[in-house]
Amino acid sequence: MNAFRHAMARILGQPLLGLAVVVALWFWAGMIDRATVQLLSFLMLNILLAQSINLLTGIAGQISLGHAGFFAIGAYAAGVLTKSHGISVPLALILAVALTAAVGWLLAIPAGRVKEFYLAMMTAGFGLLCFEIAKEWSSVTGGVVGLSGIASPTLRNLKVLGWTFDAVDLFRAMLVATAIVLLLMRNLVQSYHGRAFFAVQASEIAAGSMGIARGQVKRRAYAISGAMAGLAGALYAHLVGYLGPDSFGIMRSVEVLVMAIVGGMGTIVGPILGAALFTWLPERLQVFAEYQFMVYGLILMVIFLVLRRGIAGALTEPTRFIAVRAMAAARAADTKPAAPAPATNPGPADRPALLEVRDLARNFAGLVALDGVSLSLRPGRITALIGPNGSGKSTLVNVVSGIYQPSRGHVVLDGEEIGGKPDHMIAQRGLIRTFQDPRLVPSFTVRENILLGGQRHFRSPMLAAALRWPSTLREEADMVRRAEQVMALAGLDGVADQIIDSLPYGYRRLVEVGRAIMAEPTVVLLDEPAAGLSEAELGRLATMIRHLRDTGKAVLLIEHHMDFVNDIVDDVVVLDSGREIYRGDMRGMREDPAVIAAYLGVGQNDHA
Amino acid sequence: MTFAGQLIFAGVCVGAVYALIALGLNLTFWATRTLNFGQGSLMMLCAVVAVMVFDGGFNIYLGLLAGVAVAGVIAAATEAIAIRPITRLTGSMGWVVTTLGVGIFLQGFVSKFFGSQALAFPSFLFSPRDYVSVLGVRLSAQYLIILVIALALVLLFELFQRRTAWGRALQAVAADQDLAAVMGIPVRLVVTLSFVASGLLAGVAGALVAQITGTVDAAFGFNLLIFGFVAAVIGGMGNTWGALLGGIFLGIMEKLVGGYVSTAAEQAIAFALLMIMLAVRPEGLLGEKEFVKV
Amino acid sequence: MLELKNVSVAYGSIRALRGIDMVVQPGKITAVLGANGAGKSSLLRAIAGIAPVTEGDLLYRNASLKPYPAHRRARMGISLAMEGRRLFRHMAVEENLLLAWSFGPRRTPFAQAVRSVYDAFPILGERRTTKAGMLSGGQQQMLILSSVTIREPELMLLDEPSLGLAPIIVSQIFDFITAYAKARGTAVLLAEQMAVMALRVADHGYVLRGGQVVMHGASDELVKADIVSKLSAAYL
Repeated sequence: MNAFRHAMARILGQPLLGLAVVVALWFWAGMIDRATVQLLSFLMLNILLAQSINLLTGIAGQISLGHAGFFAIGAYAAGVLTKSHGISVPLALILAVALTAAVGWLLAIPAGRVKEFYLAMMTAGFGLLCFEIAKEWSSVTGGVVGLSGIASPTLRNLKVLGWTFDAVDLFRAMLVATAIVLLLMRNLVQSYHGRAFFAVQASEIAAGSMGIARGQVKRRAYAISGAMAGLAGALYAHLVGYLGPDSFGIMRSVEVLVMAIVGGMGTIVGPILGAALFTWLPERLQVFAEYQFMVYGLILMVIFLVLRRGIAGALTEPTRFIAVRAMAAARAADTKPAAPAPATNPGPADRPALLEVRDLARNFAGLVALDGVSLSLRPGRITALIGPNGSGKSTLVNVVSGIYQPSRGHVVLDGEEIGGKPDHMIAQRGLIRTFQDPRLVPSFTVRENILLGGQRHFRSPMLAAALRWPSTLREEADMVRRAEQVMALAGLDGVADQIIDSLPYGYRRLVEVGRAIMAEPTVVLLDEPAAGLSEAELGRLATMIRHLRDTGKAVLLIEHHMDFVNDIVDDVVVLDSGREIYRGDMRGMREDPAVIAAYLGVGQNDHA
Repeated sequence: MTFAGQLIFAGVCVGAVYALIALGLNLTFWATRTLNFGQGSLMMLCAVVAVMVFDGGFNIYLGLLAGVAVAGVIAAATEAIAIRPITRLTGSMGWVVTTLGVGIFLQGFVSKFFGSQALAFPSFLFSPRDYVSVLGVRLSAQYLIILVIALALVLLFELFQRRTAWGRALQAVAADQDLAAVMGIPVRLVVTLSFVASGLLAGVAGALVAQITGTVDAAFGFNLLIFGFVAAVIGGMGNTWGALLGGIFLGIMEKLVGGYVSTAAEQAIAFALLMIMLAVRPEGLLGEKEFVKV
Repeated sequence: MLELKNVSVAYGSIRALRGIDMVVQPGKITAVLGANGAGKSSLLRAIAGIAPVTEGDLLYRNASLKPYPAHRRARMGISLAMEGRRLFRHMAVEENLLLAWSFGPRRTPFAQAVRSVYDAFPILGERRTTKAGMLSGGQQQMLILSSVTIREPELMLLDEPSLGLAPIIVSQIFDFITAYAKARGTAVLLAEQMAVMALRVADHGYVLRGGQVVMHGASDELVKADIVSKLSAAYL
């Protein structure tokens, strides 16, 4: 089975396969009957719709139960503009797509604030709102009677740039449009922009910690997804020539969702397969058409138990998220691993601090978690932050990295006040953190996860990525090369192409630290990186942390594993009940009465 | 009574039913932090079963009993097949999709076997033409009784929750399942019973709405589910008094917009309200901000 | 009272405990010592039935606990006070106690049971209508302890009752535990990081490290073996 999936992935990965299919369909359409051409045209629409929801839900992780809304807006915009305002078909199409993109962008503003079932309800509400408007705004949409007489091949009045399109012409236009959209989408998904979508899906907090601006990513996902569904809507208007509100009800949204889920969310090929299946089935199977909604319902009920990753997941290996050409370019270049930096002594203790925390406090509903902590992290030094459970260590990291707002005090990164700034801006400025529970993208390989650390260094605009501009590929190749170096350093090169979810726990920690190294930060905060690691893994972790130090980063290490801490740290700060109780070196800490009391309850002398 | 007064009265009555739906959503939210997206179909199913039993020549109350029971059983089944196995596998998208699937299946089932045309729902309490005089004001008896039933259920529920061991157990399960379990509370049973109760409430709400509209069809429930959710969200998810407040607010808004602006905008206002509410204050008017632990 | 045989606990691919053997006697306090992440909480949670036991067996009064879910174990007289001040924060003090009592054996009427709680901790009586979340740390710990005792357990599992508390409050709480166990013959399993304090009240101790028992014995033996310094080296 795995060999089969691998072979399928190779076949599907052939660059010319898509072109061959498009050319074949182009000529085939001229030889077949009208009904089949119509069916193929609907297939194109369904592919666009399924990909649209795939981008938003499967890739960016924002569930949508209202995709029919975008579809309706695109369809009515194209229909109304051409029929009632006499605007030419291509211009109306562009305007319809722009309008749905704008609606998507706007929807992202409220939708971006909620998650899970709130989001599902909100998008369902959006879809129903669009449906109600289509039904009730009779003066524009024709209300329940509908809007008829839109330029279409059936009426022989679909004129595009002086040509009169018949059904075959329209299909060919839709075929080309769909192929272009798919190509752009693939390019986007295999770029840092696409990986940012996945990062937001996996964990919004982790995405922020890599410098990904969640709000912006979501707005883009909604806008692109909206544009794709709007394009499908505009094409639909001209395909059928009549628009009635019943085509845009909740069931349309469900149908689109079913296609994408059954095909396989989060892949490019999946929604195509799903769209093909559900375009063909109702047409060819009378039974299916009769029981359509019961079947949809049943499919939604069992799909996650039966085929969790959809048809695509069962038949082929998942899409990868790095451009193949960038990988090839990176391989062709010299990929000698970065020589592990020679063991140097820690940086001098009197260099100006990279991170200065002054009198930082944070309360939670009356409970004081952090009560005026000050510390300085200097370049090339590793500072351990230790303390009993509940002493405020994690709160400190969360406040400094921008996840919590400080109640009081200052955080200065490299001379700039960052206290209270959003987490992704702090990460962009060079302060990178890891989490107690590693937060990676579970469907990504080790390499792809590491590459996410470089997110803050990518510069290519989205359009360039979608068009796969040479400069984008160069940038991607450079980053891949650096990721290879990080993996070599971490001893992860052997598992670079493994999906992170399939690897033992210890790897996830190492990958997360590797991702932090990839970010080339100025300051790194590591929250219990050694927890759950084997002896061998601890060795690799130590190498990685020393590498950070030797390249001049300031490192803060929260850790309970004292043997590990002892070997690598330069300075120690001990917290208890949100306050600093000790600052100095390791040996001094062991003998410090306040520290011993905090850990053991009373001074050692008590029992001696 | 003035036009505005009549609209407000009708709004309060309809709103109380929305509160009942919201209460059903709150129950599953407490028990498992999930919502049943098939809840709308349960409302529809209860009304359809009642009509079928009634058309079969039986007493309408027997029909209602049967309908409510079916809704309760299916709600519990939904938890067992579409929520419990899924929450372990996937994130929240999983159960949203599976419970929606249950709802769509029921909807498809009803429209296939009972026809997609609207069925006439019998008037079981009063006819739409009955009026009663309260303090000299003529009020529709049907609306009034619906208000009384909905309010009584909300109050009874609040009492149950505050005054009985099982009510407190439900609160405990909502707050912390592990802690509830080590206190000896049978968490699984509480969850199952919550879903049953949630289904029963959905069934009653469905019957009450069908009483007002006079007909029921397969697509009857989904909008109601959204209205109930809007009520729950306005009041703050999980808050009983909030649900009542939110439901009545939504009901009045709906009727006022319908009366003064356009009946066409009656439904749209709820969807618009939902999006505005979630954007501005997702924790609701009475809710407290949930703290995200990292 | 309780006997653990080769018990292992794992959360997914993360192993928290490996092959634990342990005996807990009635009327005695058994301390489980170790640093953060040594597996103390996992051990207590496994006994209470809310952590997955992947290997081995737990015998309670000579019968296996494995077939019983957490709430059944709770009714069999096992009562866990979880770490991190886990209580129902939005409920009042007395509501917390009532809830704990309602699903317990209910041998004593609630009025009487709650009176003895307020006798032991008068401050809880004064603040009976206060929301548990608004209590101070020490008061919360008293309430957690009372929620355990009001169920009249035969085996108390206490997870870091000293966490984040001032020493004076800690000794007050430990004194209460000792007196309660001796008076009722209750078996106590006390998980603590504060080794000195714990060994002062415990009869027996087990030291965990990396999810395994590295040492065990009577408290005075452990003190004699200078376990505290060794522990101190392990923590610090």
